[in-house]
Amino acid sequence: MGRYTWDFSVITANWDPLMAGLAVTLQLTAICAVIGLIGGFLVCQMVMSRIAPLRWVAIGFIELFRCTPALVQIIWIFYCVPYFFGVFFDPFYMAILALGMNITAFNAEAYRAAIQSIPASHYDACTALGLSPLKKTLFVILPQAVLMAIPVLLTNTIGLLQQTSLVAIVAIADLMYEGKTLATQTYRPIEIYTTVAFIYFALSVPLSQAVGLFERRLRSRLA
Amino acid sequence: MSSFLNVQGLRKSFGGHLVVLDDINFQMEAGERVVIIGPSGSGKSTLLRCVMGLEKIDKGRIELEGARYIEANPKSKKDNFVDIPVRNKVGMVFQHYTLFPHLTVLGNLILAPMRARGESRSSATERAMQLLDRLGLKSKAGAFPGMLSGGQKQRVAIARALLLDPKIMLFDEVTSALDPELVTEVEGVMLELAEQKMSMMIVTHDMWFAKRIATRVIFSADGRIIEDAPPAKMFTNPSEPRTADFLKKVLHVETIS
Ligand SMILES: Nc1ncnc2c1ncn2[C@@H]1O[C@H](COP(=O)(O)OP(=O)(O)OP(=O)(O)O)[C@@H](O)[C@H]1O
Ligand SMILES: [Mg+2]
Repeated sequence: MGRYTWDFSVITANWDPLMAGLAVTLQLTAICAVIGLIGGFLVCQMVMSRIAPLRWVAIGFIELFRCTPALVQIIWIFYCVPYFFGVFFDPFYMAILALGMNITAFNAEAYRAAIQSIPASHYDACTALGLSPLKKTLFVILPQAVLMAIPVLLTNTIGLLQQTSLVAIVAIADLMYEGKTLATQTYRPIEIYTTVAFIYFALSVPLSQAVGLFERRLRSRLA
Repeated sequence: MSSFLNVQGLRKSFGGHLVVLDDINFQMEAGERVVIIGPSGSGKSTLLRCVMGLEKIDKGRIELEGARYIEANPKSKKDNFVDIPVRNKVGMVFQHYTLFPHLTVLGNLILAPMRARGESRSSATERAMQLLDRLGLKSKAGAFPGMLSGGQKQRVAIARALLLDPKIMLFDEVTSALDPELVTEVEGVMLELAEQKMSMMIVTHDMWFAKRIATRVIFSADGRIIEDAPPAKMFTNPSEPRTADFLKKVLHVETIS
Protein backbone atom coordinates (compact mmCIF):
# COMPACT_ATOMS: atom_id res chain seq x y z
CA MET A 1 0.00 0.00 0.00
CA GLY A 2 2.52 2.52 1.18
CA ARG A 3 4.84 1.60 -1.63
CA TYR A 4 2.51 2.80 -4.36
CA THR A 5 4.20 5.44 -6.48
CA TRP A 6 1.73 8.08 -7.54
CA ASP A 7 2.01 9.38 -11.06
CA PHE A 8 -0.31 12.27 -11.77
CA SER A 9 1.14 12.90 -15.21
CA VAL A 10 -1.67 10.67 -16.44
CA ILE A 11 -4.07 13.42 -15.35
CA THR A 12 -2.28 16.26 -17.08
CA ALA A 13 -1.90 14.17 -20.21
CA ASN A 14 -5.64 13.44 -20.28
CA TRP A 15 -6.87 16.77 -19.02
CA ASP A 16 -9.08 17.50 -22.04
CA PRO A 17 -11.37 14.44 -21.90
CA LEU A 18 -11.70 14.89 -18.14
CA MET A 19 -12.74 18.50 -18.61
CA ALA A 20 -15.13 17.51 -21.39
CA GLY A 21 -16.66 15.00 -19.00
CA LEU A 22 -16.85 17.63 -16.28
CA ALA A 23 -18.70 19.93 -18.69
CA VAL A 24 -21.30 17.22 -19.29
CA THR A 25 -21.65 16.64 -15.53
CA LEU A 26 -22.16 20.36 -14.90
CA GLN A 27 -24.69 20.66 -17.72
CA LEU A 28 -26.66 17.72 -16.45
CA THR A 29 -26.63 19.09 -12.92
CA ALA A 30 -27.62 22.61 -13.94
CA ILE A 31 -30.44 21.54 -16.25
CA CYS A 32 -31.89 19.03 -13.78
CA ALA A 33 -31.53 21.49 -10.91
CA VAL A 34 -33.67 24.02 -12.79
CA ILE A 35 -36.21 21.32 -13.71
CA GLY A 36 -36.33 20.30 -10.05
CA LEU A 37 -36.82 23.82 -8.75
CA ILE A 38 -39.80 24.47 -11.01
CA GLY A 39 -41.16 20.92 -11.33
CA GLY A 40 -40.85 20.35 -7.59
CA PHE A 41 -43.06 23.36 -6.89
CA LEU A 42 -45.64 22.26 -9.46
CA VAL A 43 -45.79 18.70 -8.11
CA CYS A 44 -46.01 20.09 -4.59
CA GLN A 45 -48.97 22.24 -5.68
CA MET A 46 -50.59 19.09 -7.05
CA VAL A 47 -50.01 17.26 -3.76
CA MET A 48 -51.73 20.10 -1.92
CA SER A 49 -54.48 20.50 -4.51
CA ARG A 50 -58.17 20.36 -3.70
CA ILE A 51 -58.64 17.94 -6.61
CA ALA A 52 -58.17 14.38 -5.39
CA PRO A 53 -56.97 12.73 -8.66
CA LEU A 54 -54.25 15.37 -9.01
CA ARG A 55 -53.13 14.58 -5.47
CA TRP A 56 -53.03 10.85 -6.16
CA VAL A 57 -50.96 11.24 -9.31
CA ALA A 58 -48.51 13.54 -7.55
CA ILE A 59 -48.16 11.35 -4.47
CA GLY A 60 -47.66 8.30 -6.67
CA PHE A 61 -44.98 10.14 -8.62
CA ILE A 62 -43.15 11.24 -5.49
CA GLU A 63 -43.24 7.82 -3.85
CA LEU A 64 -42.13 6.10 -7.03
CA PHE A 65 -39.03 8.23 -7.31
CA ARG A 66 -38.23 8.37 -3.61
CA CYS A 67 -38.62 4.67 -3.03
CA THR A 68 -36.57 3.23 -5.88
CA PRO A 69 -32.80 3.64 -6.39
CA ALA A 70 -31.79 6.41 -8.78
CA LEU A 71 -29.57 3.94 -10.60
CA VAL A 72 -32.56 1.72 -11.31
CA GLN A 73 -34.59 4.71 -12.43
CA ILE A 74 -31.93 5.72 -14.94
CA ILE A 75 -31.54 2.24 -16.36
CA TRP A 76 -35.29 1.66 -16.40
CA ILE A 77 -36.01 4.89 -18.26
CA PHE A 78 -33.10 4.23 -20.62
CA TYR A 79 -34.41 0.81 -21.65
CA CYS A 80 -38.14 0.98 -21.09
CA VAL A 81 -39.10 4.39 -22.46
CA PRO A 82 -37.96 3.51 -26.00
CA TYR A 83 -39.66 0.13 -25.71
CA PHE A 84 -43.04 1.27 -24.35
CA PHE A 85 -43.33 4.63 -26.01
CA GLY A 86 -41.50 3.91 -29.22
CA VAL A 87 -39.35 7.03 -28.86
CA PHE A 88 -35.65 7.16 -28.49
CA PHE A 89 -34.11 10.40 -27.35
CA ASP A 90 -30.44 11.10 -27.21
CA PRO A 91 -29.09 9.37 -24.06
CA PHE A 92 -28.26 12.79 -22.62
CA TYR A 93 -31.97 13.70 -22.70
CA MET A 94 -32.92 10.35 -21.22
CA ALA A 95 -30.58 11.11 -18.34
CA ILE A 96 -32.15 14.55 -17.91
CA LEU A 97 -35.56 12.92 -17.85
CA ALA A 98 -34.55 10.42 -15.17
CA LEU A 99 -32.53 12.73 -12.92
CA GLY A 100 -34.93 15.62 -13.47
CA MET A 101 -37.90 13.56 -12.29
CA ASN A 102 -35.90 12.21 -9.38
CA ILE A 103 -34.97 15.63 -8.02
CA THR A 104 -38.46 16.93 -8.77
CA ALA A 105 -39.86 14.30 -6.41
CA PHE A 106 -37.44 15.18 -3.63
CA ASN A 107 -37.85 18.93 -4.09
CA ALA A 108 -41.64 18.59 -4.02
CA GLU A 109 -41.32 17.25 -0.50
CA ALA A 110 -38.97 20.09 0.46
CA TYR A 111 -41.47 22.66 -0.83
CA ARG A 112 -44.36 20.92 0.91
CA ALA A 113 -42.60 21.06 4.27
CA ALA A 114 -41.77 24.74 3.71
CA ILE A 115 -45.31 25.63 2.65
CA GLN A 116 -46.77 23.86 5.65
CA SER A 117 -44.63 26.00 7.89
CA ILE A 118 -46.27 29.17 6.51
CA PRO A 119 -48.89 30.19 9.09
CA ALA A 120 -52.55 29.95 8.03
CA SER A 121 -52.97 33.60 8.97
CA HIS A 122 -50.86 34.56 5.94
CA TYR A 123 -53.47 33.03 3.65
CA ASP A 124 -56.18 35.04 5.40
CA ALA A 125 -54.07 38.17 5.10
CA CYS A 126 -53.77 37.61 1.34
CA THR A 127 -57.54 37.35 0.98
CA ALA A 128 -57.99 40.45 3.13
CA LEU A 129 -55.55 42.26 0.84
CA GLY A 130 -57.53 41.22 -2.21
CA LEU A 131 -54.84 39.00 -3.70
CA SER A 132 -56.32 36.34 -6.00
CA PRO A 133 -55.36 32.70 -5.37
CA LEU A 134 -52.87 32.82 -8.25
CA LYS A 135 -51.21 36.06 -7.09
CA LYS A 136 -51.15 34.77 -3.53
CA THR A 137 -49.30 31.67 -4.72
CA LEU A 138 -46.90 33.60 -6.96
CA PHE A 139 -46.03 36.53 -4.74
CA VAL A 140 -46.51 35.29 -1.18
CA ILE A 141 -46.42 31.51 -0.96
CA LEU A 142 -43.81 30.65 -3.63
CA PRO A 143 -41.17 33.16 -2.52
CA GLN A 144 -41.58 32.23 1.14
CA ALA A 145 -41.53 28.53 0.30
CA VAL A 146 -38.36 28.90 -1.77
CA LEU A 147 -36.69 30.94 0.93
CA MET A 148 -37.48 28.45 3.66
CA ALA A 149 -36.80 25.45 1.46
CA ILE A 150 -33.43 26.73 0.24
CA PRO A 151 -31.32 24.66 2.66
CA VAL A 152 -33.08 21.43 1.67
CA LEU A 153 -33.18 22.37 -2.03
CA LEU A 154 -29.43 22.99 -1.94
CA THR A 155 -28.84 19.70 -0.16
CA ASN A 156 -30.91 17.94 -2.83
CA THR A 157 -28.88 19.69 -5.52
CA ILE A 158 -25.65 18.43 -3.98
CA GLY A 159 -27.16 14.95 -4.08
CA LEU A 160 -28.07 15.53 -7.73
CA LEU A 161 -24.50 16.47 -8.58
CA GLN A 162 -23.29 13.21 -7.07
CA GLN A 163 -26.06 11.22 -8.72
CA THR A 164 -25.19 12.45 -12.21
CA SER A 165 -22.21 10.07 -11.94
CA LEU A 166 -24.72 7.21 -12.29
CA VAL A 167 -25.40 8.08 -15.92
CA ALA A 168 -21.96 6.70 -16.82
CA ILE A 169 -23.67 3.33 -16.70
CA VAL A 170 -25.68 4.17 -19.82
CA ALA A 171 -22.58 5.47 -21.63
CA ILE A 172 -23.12 9.18 -21.27
CA ALA A 173 -19.70 10.82 -21.40
CA ASP A 174 -19.80 12.62 -18.06
CA LEU A 175 -16.91 13.04 -15.66
CA MET A 176 -17.31 9.58 -14.18
CA TYR A 177 -17.55 7.95 -17.62
CA GLU A 178 -14.43 9.71 -18.88
CA GLY A 179 -12.62 8.70 -15.70
CA LYS A 180 -13.65 5.08 -16.09
CA THR A 181 -12.58 5.07 -19.74
CA LEU A 182 -9.20 6.59 -18.93
CA ALA A 183 -8.71 4.22 -16.01
CA THR A 184 -9.02 1.18 -18.24
CA GLN A 185 -6.94 2.73 -21.01
CA THR A 186 -4.05 3.93 -18.85
CA TYR A 187 -4.00 1.34 -16.03
CA ARG A 188 -3.86 4.26 -13.58
CA PRO A 189 -7.25 3.90 -11.81
CA ILE A 190 -5.95 5.15 -8.47
CA GLU A 191 -4.78 8.55 -9.72
CA ILE A 192 -7.77 8.95 -11.97
CA TYR A 193 -10.51 8.01 -9.50
CA THR A 194 -8.80 10.09 -6.82
CA THR A 195 -8.84 13.07 -9.13
CA VAL A 196 -12.44 12.44 -10.13
CA ALA A 197 -13.42 12.17 -6.48
CA PHE A 198 -11.59 15.38 -5.69
CA ILE A 199 -13.43 17.23 -8.48
CA TYR A 200 -16.86 16.11 -7.17
CA PHE A 201 -15.73 17.07 -3.68
CA ALA A 202 -14.45 20.50 -4.72
CA LEU A 203 -17.72 21.25 -6.52
CA SER A 204 -19.89 20.12 -3.62
CA VAL A 205 -18.15 21.70 -0.64
CA PRO A 206 -19.08 25.30 -1.54
CA LEU A 207 -22.71 24.24 -2.00
CA SER A 208 -22.61 22.40 1.27
CA GLN A 209 -21.16 25.44 3.05
CA ALA A 210 -23.85 27.60 1.47
CA VAL A 211 -26.50 25.44 3.14
CA GLY A 212 -25.20 26.39 6.58
CA LEU A 213 -24.90 30.04 5.60
CA PHE A 214 -28.50 30.14 4.39
CA GLU A 215 -29.77 28.41 7.49
CA ARG A 216 -28.13 31.04 9.68
CA ARG A 217 -29.41 33.90 7.53
CA LEU A 218 -32.94 32.49 7.44
CA ARG A 219 -32.99 32.12 11.18
CA SER A 220 -32.13 35.77 11.68
CA ARG A 221 -34.39 37.02 8.89
CA LEU A 222 -37.50 35.03 9.70
CA ALA A 223 -37.26 35.43 13.46
CA MET B 1 -82.77 53.27 3.83
CA SER B 2 -80.01 50.72 3.79
CA SER B 3 -77.20 50.80 6.29
CA PHE B 4 -73.53 51.22 5.51
CA LEU B 5 -72.79 47.70 6.74
CA ASN B 6 -75.66 45.27 7.01
CA VAL B 7 -75.35 41.73 8.33
CA GLN B 8 -78.59 39.82 7.81
CA GLY B 9 -79.51 36.47 9.36
CA LEU B 10 -75.89 35.34 9.60
CA ARG B 11 -75.39 31.80 10.81
CA LYS B 12 -72.02 30.15 11.02
CA SER B 13 -71.19 26.70 12.27
CA PHE B 14 -68.06 24.61 12.24
CA GLY B 15 -68.45 21.05 11.04
CA GLY B 16 -72.22 21.52 10.79
CA HIS B 17 -72.99 21.18 14.51
CA LEU B 18 -70.87 23.67 16.47
CA VAL B 19 -72.98 26.78 15.89
CA VAL B 20 -70.75 29.76 16.58
CA LEU B 21 -72.94 32.56 15.20
CA ASP B 22 -76.68 32.11 15.32
CA ASP B 23 -78.93 34.42 13.32
CA ILE B 24 -76.85 37.57 13.73
CA ASN B 25 -78.51 40.79 12.54
CA PHE B 26 -76.30 43.81 12.76
CA GLN B 27 -76.21 47.21 11.11
CA MET B 28 -73.77 50.06 11.34
CA GLU B 29 -73.47 53.47 9.74
CA ALA B 30 -70.41 55.01 8.14
CA GLY B 31 -68.06 56.55 10.68
CA GLU B 32 -69.24 54.35 13.53
CA ARG B 33 -66.69 52.52 15.63
CA VAL B 34 -68.23 49.37 16.96
CA VAL B 35 -66.31 47.51 19.64
CA ILE B 36 -67.27 43.91 20.23
CA ILE B 37 -66.68 42.45 23.65
CA GLY B 38 -67.59 39.10 25.13
CA PRO B 39 -66.23 35.95 26.69
CA SER B 40 -63.61 33.85 24.94
CA GLY B 41 -65.15 31.58 22.34
CA SER B 42 -68.27 33.70 21.93
CA GLY B 43 -67.64 34.13 18.20
CA LYS B 44 -66.16 37.65 18.06
CA SER B 45 -63.29 36.71 15.74
CA THR B 46 -65.62 34.56 13.69
CA LEU B 47 -67.96 37.50 13.13
CA LEU B 48 -65.11 39.70 11.86
CA ARG B 49 -63.82 36.87 9.70
CA CYS B 50 -67.28 36.45 8.15
CA VAL B 51 -67.49 40.18 7.39
CA MET B 52 -64.04 39.93 5.77
CA GLY B 53 -65.21 36.96 3.73
CA LEU B 54 -62.78 34.49 5.28
CA GLU B 55 -65.39 32.01 6.47
CA LYS B 56 -67.93 29.92 4.64
CA ILE B 57 -71.27 30.89 6.15
CA ASP B 58 -74.33 28.64 6.53
CA LYS B 59 -77.01 31.27 6.17
CA GLY B 60 -77.48 34.95 5.63
CA ARG B 61 -75.90 37.76 3.70
CA ILE B 62 -73.70 40.79 4.23
CA GLU B 63 -74.00 44.10 2.42
CA LEU B 64 -71.69 47.10 2.22
CA GLU B 65 -73.17 50.42 1.07
CA GLY B 66 -76.21 48.57 -0.15
CA ALA B 67 -74.21 46.10 -2.26
CA ARG B 68 -74.59 42.48 -1.28
CA TYR B 69 -71.07 41.06 -1.32
CA ILE B 70 -71.34 37.86 0.71
CA GLU B 71 -74.21 35.44 0.67
CA ALA B 72 -74.52 31.88 1.86
CA ASN B 73 -74.41 29.35 -0.94
CA PRO B 74 -76.19 26.20 0.21
CA LYS B 75 -75.03 24.37 -2.93
CA SER B 76 -71.32 24.69 -2.16
CA LYS B 77 -69.46 23.07 0.69
CA LYS B 78 -66.53 25.43 0.39
CA ASP B 79 -67.49 28.86 -0.88
CA ASN B 80 -69.99 31.65 -0.40
CA PHE B 81 -71.25 33.81 -3.21
CA VAL B 82 -68.73 36.65 -3.05
CA ASP B 83 -68.60 39.96 -4.88
CA ILE B 84 -64.86 40.42 -4.70
CA PRO B 85 -64.60 44.10 -5.73
CA VAL B 86 -67.00 45.02 -2.93
CA ARG B 87 -65.28 42.74 -0.42
CA ASN B 88 -62.00 44.48 -1.31
CA LYS B 89 -63.38 47.64 0.32
CA VAL B 90 -63.05 45.87 3.67
CA GLY B 91 -59.64 45.84 5.37
CA MET B 92 -58.55 43.69 8.29
CA VAL B 93 -55.71 43.45 10.79
CA PHE B 94 -55.18 40.24 12.73
CA GLN B 95 -54.02 39.29 16.20
CA HIS B 96 -51.12 37.28 14.85
CA TYR B 97 -48.44 39.02 12.87
CA THR B 98 -49.16 38.56 9.20
CA LEU B 99 -46.40 40.60 7.57
CA PHE B 100 -44.76 38.58 4.81
CA PRO B 101 -41.23 37.86 6.04
CA HIS B 102 -39.64 37.69 2.58
CA LEU B 103 -40.58 41.28 1.81
CA THR B 104 -39.40 44.53 3.37
CA VAL B 105 -41.86 46.84 5.11
CA LEU B 106 -42.23 48.80 1.86
CA GLY B 107 -42.55 45.56 -0.11
CA ASN B 108 -45.35 44.43 2.19
CA LEU B 109 -47.17 47.73 1.71
CA ILE B 110 -47.00 47.95 -2.07
CA LEU B 111 -47.61 44.26 -2.84
CA ALA B 112 -51.40 44.38 -3.00
CA PRO B 113 -51.71 47.83 -4.62
CA MET B 114 -49.40 46.61 -7.39
CA ARG B 115 -50.43 42.98 -7.77
CA ALA B 116 -54.11 43.14 -6.93
CA ARG B 117 -54.96 46.67 -8.08
CA GLY B 118 -52.49 47.17 -10.91
CA GLU B 119 -51.06 50.39 -9.49
CA SER B 120 -47.59 51.35 -10.76
CA ARG B 121 -44.63 50.71 -8.49
CA SER B 122 -43.69 54.37 -8.33
CA SER B 123 -47.17 55.55 -7.42
CA ALA B 124 -47.65 52.81 -4.80
CA THR B 125 -44.22 53.53 -3.35
CA GLU B 126 -44.95 57.23 -3.11
CA ARG B 127 -48.24 56.66 -1.28
CA ALA B 128 -46.65 54.04 0.97
CA MET B 129 -43.79 56.32 1.97
CA GLN B 130 -46.23 59.14 2.80
CA LEU B 131 -48.25 56.81 4.98
CA LEU B 132 -45.18 55.38 6.71
CA ASP B 133 -44.00 58.92 7.36
CA ARG B 134 -47.34 59.77 8.97
CA LEU B 135 -47.06 56.72 11.22
CA GLY B 136 -43.45 57.48 12.14
CA LEU B 137 -42.20 54.39 10.35
CA LYS B 138 -40.41 55.95 7.40
CA SER B 139 -36.98 54.85 8.63
CA LYS B 140 -38.23 51.25 8.68
CA ALA B 141 -39.28 51.13 5.01
CA GLY B 142 -36.28 49.01 4.05
CA ALA B 143 -36.34 46.76 7.12
CA PHE B 144 -37.55 43.18 7.09
CA PRO B 145 -40.40 42.29 9.45
CA GLY B 146 -38.11 40.04 11.50
CA MET B 147 -36.19 43.13 12.57
CA LEU B 148 -39.25 45.01 13.92
CA SER B 149 -40.81 45.06 17.36
CA GLY B 150 -44.32 43.65 17.75
CA GLY B 151 -45.77 47.13 17.97
CA GLN B 152 -44.03 48.21 14.79
CA LYS B 153 -45.21 45.05 13.02
CA GLN B 154 -48.83 45.77 13.88
CA ARG B 155 -48.53 49.41 12.82
CA VAL B 156 -47.08 48.27 9.49
CA ALA B 157 -49.92 45.75 9.16
CA ILE B 158 -52.42 48.58 9.70
CA ALA B 159 -50.59 50.71 7.13
CA ARG B 160 -50.65 47.84 4.66
CA ALA B 161 -54.43 47.58 4.96
CA LEU B 162 -54.92 51.37 4.83
CA LEU B 163 -52.97 51.71 1.61
CA LEU B 164 -55.85 49.93 -0.15
CA ASP B 165 -58.25 52.73 0.88
CA PRO B 166 -60.74 50.54 2.74
CA LYS B 167 -64.22 51.83 3.57
CA ILE B 168 -64.17 49.91 6.82
CA MET B 169 -61.41 48.41 8.94
CA LEU B 170 -61.71 45.29 11.08
CA PHE B 171 -59.35 44.83 14.02
CA ASP B 172 -59.23 41.46 15.78
CA GLU B 173 -57.35 41.81 19.06
CA VAL B 174 -54.46 43.50 17.33
CA THR B 175 -52.70 44.30 20.61
CA SER B 176 -53.21 40.96 22.39
CA ALA B 177 -49.86 39.51 21.35
CA LEU B 178 -47.94 42.64 22.34
CA ASP B 179 -45.91 43.46 25.39
CA PRO B 180 -47.84 45.98 27.51
CA GLU B 181 -45.48 48.86 26.75
CA LEU B 182 -46.06 48.45 22.99
CA VAL B 183 -49.85 48.50 23.17
CA THR B 184 -50.28 52.27 23.26
CA GLU B 185 -48.39 52.93 20.02
CA VAL B 186 -50.77 50.62 18.14
CA GLU B 187 -53.87 51.95 19.91
CA GLY B 188 -52.61 55.44 19.08
CA VAL B 189 -52.78 54.68 15.37
CA MET B 190 -56.33 53.40 15.78
CA LEU B 191 -57.36 56.52 17.69
CA GLU B 192 -55.91 58.61 14.86
CA LEU B 193 -58.04 56.67 12.39
CA ALA B 194 -61.03 57.35 14.63
CA GLU B 195 -60.37 61.07 14.35
CA GLN B 196 -60.44 60.70 10.59
CA LYS B 197 -63.89 59.10 10.88
CA MET B 198 -62.80 55.68 9.64
CA SER B 199 -65.55 53.09 10.08
CA MET B 200 -64.25 50.31 12.29
CA MET B 201 -65.22 47.06 13.93
CA ILE B 202 -62.88 46.29 16.79
CA VAL B 203 -62.55 43.20 18.94
CA THR B 204 -60.57 43.84 22.09
CA HIS B 205 -60.22 42.67 25.66
CA ASP B 206 -59.00 46.11 26.71
CA MET B 207 -62.11 47.73 28.19
CA TRP B 208 -60.45 51.07 28.76
CA PHE B 209 -59.46 51.28 25.14
CA ALA B 210 -62.95 50.12 24.16
CA LYS B 211 -64.51 52.92 26.14
CA ARG B 212 -62.16 55.44 24.60
CA ILE B 213 -62.56 54.51 20.95
CA ALA B 214 -66.08 53.12 20.65
CA THR B 215 -69.15 54.94 19.45
CA ARG B 216 -71.05 51.72 20.13
CA VAL B 217 -70.30 48.60 22.11
CA ILE B 218 -71.68 45.16 21.44
CA PHE B 219 -71.64 42.42 24.02
CA SER B 220 -71.81 38.98 22.46
CA ALA B 221 -72.10 35.58 24.08
CA ASP B 222 -73.02 32.12 22.83
CA GLY B 223 -73.06 33.28 19.23
CA ARG B 224 -75.64 36.00 19.84
CA ILE B 225 -75.64 39.73 20.33
CA ILE B 226 -76.80 40.13 23.92
CA GLU B 227 -76.52 43.87 24.21
CA ASP B 228 -75.80 46.78 21.90
CA ALA B 229 -75.32 50.20 23.50
CA PRO B 230 -73.21 53.36 23.51
CA PRO B 231 -70.08 52.95 25.65
CA ALA B 232 -71.32 55.28 28.37
CA LYS B 233 -74.34 53.07 28.92
CA MET B 234 -72.64 49.74 28.36
CA PHE B 235 -69.89 50.33 30.89
CA THR B 236 -71.88 52.11 33.57
CA ASN B 237 -75.39 50.81 33.37
CA PRO B 238 -75.81 47.73 31.18
CA SER B 239 -79.39 46.48 30.73
CA GLU B 240 -78.62 42.79 30.59
CA PRO B 241 -77.51 40.90 33.70
CA ARG B 242 -75.13 38.82 31.60
CA THR B 243 -73.37 41.94 30.40
CA ALA B 244 -73.03 43.21 33.95
CA ASP B 245 -71.67 39.81 35.04
CA PHE B 246 -69.11 39.77 32.26
CA LEU B 247 -67.95 43.32 32.90
CA LYS B 248 -67.64 42.65 36.61
CA LYS B 249 -65.40 39.67 35.86
CA VAL B 250 -63.10 41.39 33.38
CA LEU B 251 -62.88 44.67 35.23
CA HIS B 252 -62.85 43.37 38.81
CA VAL B 253 -64.90 46.45 39.61
CA GLU B 254 -68.51 47.42 39.04
CA THR B 255 -67.95 50.05 36.37
CA ILE B 256 -65.26 52.12 34.81
CA SER B 257 -65.56 55.82 34.62
N1 LIG C 1 -61.52 26.87 12.32
C1 LIG C 1 -62.30 26.44 13.33
N2 LIG C 1 -62.70 25.16 13.40
C2 LIG C 1 -63.49 24.73 14.41
N3 LIG C 1 -63.92 25.51 15.39
C3 LIG C 1 -63.56 26.81 15.40
C4 LIG C 1 -62.73 27.35 14.37
N4 LIG C 1 -62.51 28.65 14.60
C5 LIG C 1 -63.19 28.93 15.75
N5 LIG C 1 -63.82 27.83 16.22
C6 LIG C 1 -64.66 27.76 17.42
O1 LIG C 1 -65.65 28.75 17.32
C7 LIG C 1 -65.91 29.34 18.56
C8 LIG C 1 -65.77 30.85 18.44
O2 LIG C 1 -64.43 31.15 18.17
P1 LIG C 1 -63.93 32.65 18.00
O3 LIG C 1 -62.48 32.57 17.70
O4 LIG C 1 -64.78 33.40 17.05
O5 LIG C 1 -64.14 33.22 19.46
P2 LIG C 1 -63.68 34.60 20.06
O6 LIG C 1 -64.88 35.24 20.61
O7 LIG C 1 -62.90 35.37 19.08
O8 LIG C 1 -62.76 34.13 21.26
P3 LIG C 1 -61.40 34.77 21.82
O9 LIG C 1 -61.83 35.90 22.73
O10 LIG C 1 -60.78 33.66 22.59
O11 LIG C 1 -60.59 35.22 20.67
C9 LIG C 1 -64.95 28.71 19.54
O12 LIG C 1 -65.65 27.69 20.23
C10 LIG C 1 -63.89 28.12 18.68
O13 LIG C 1 -63.35 26.96 19.28
MG1 LIG D 1 -60.86 35.90 18.85
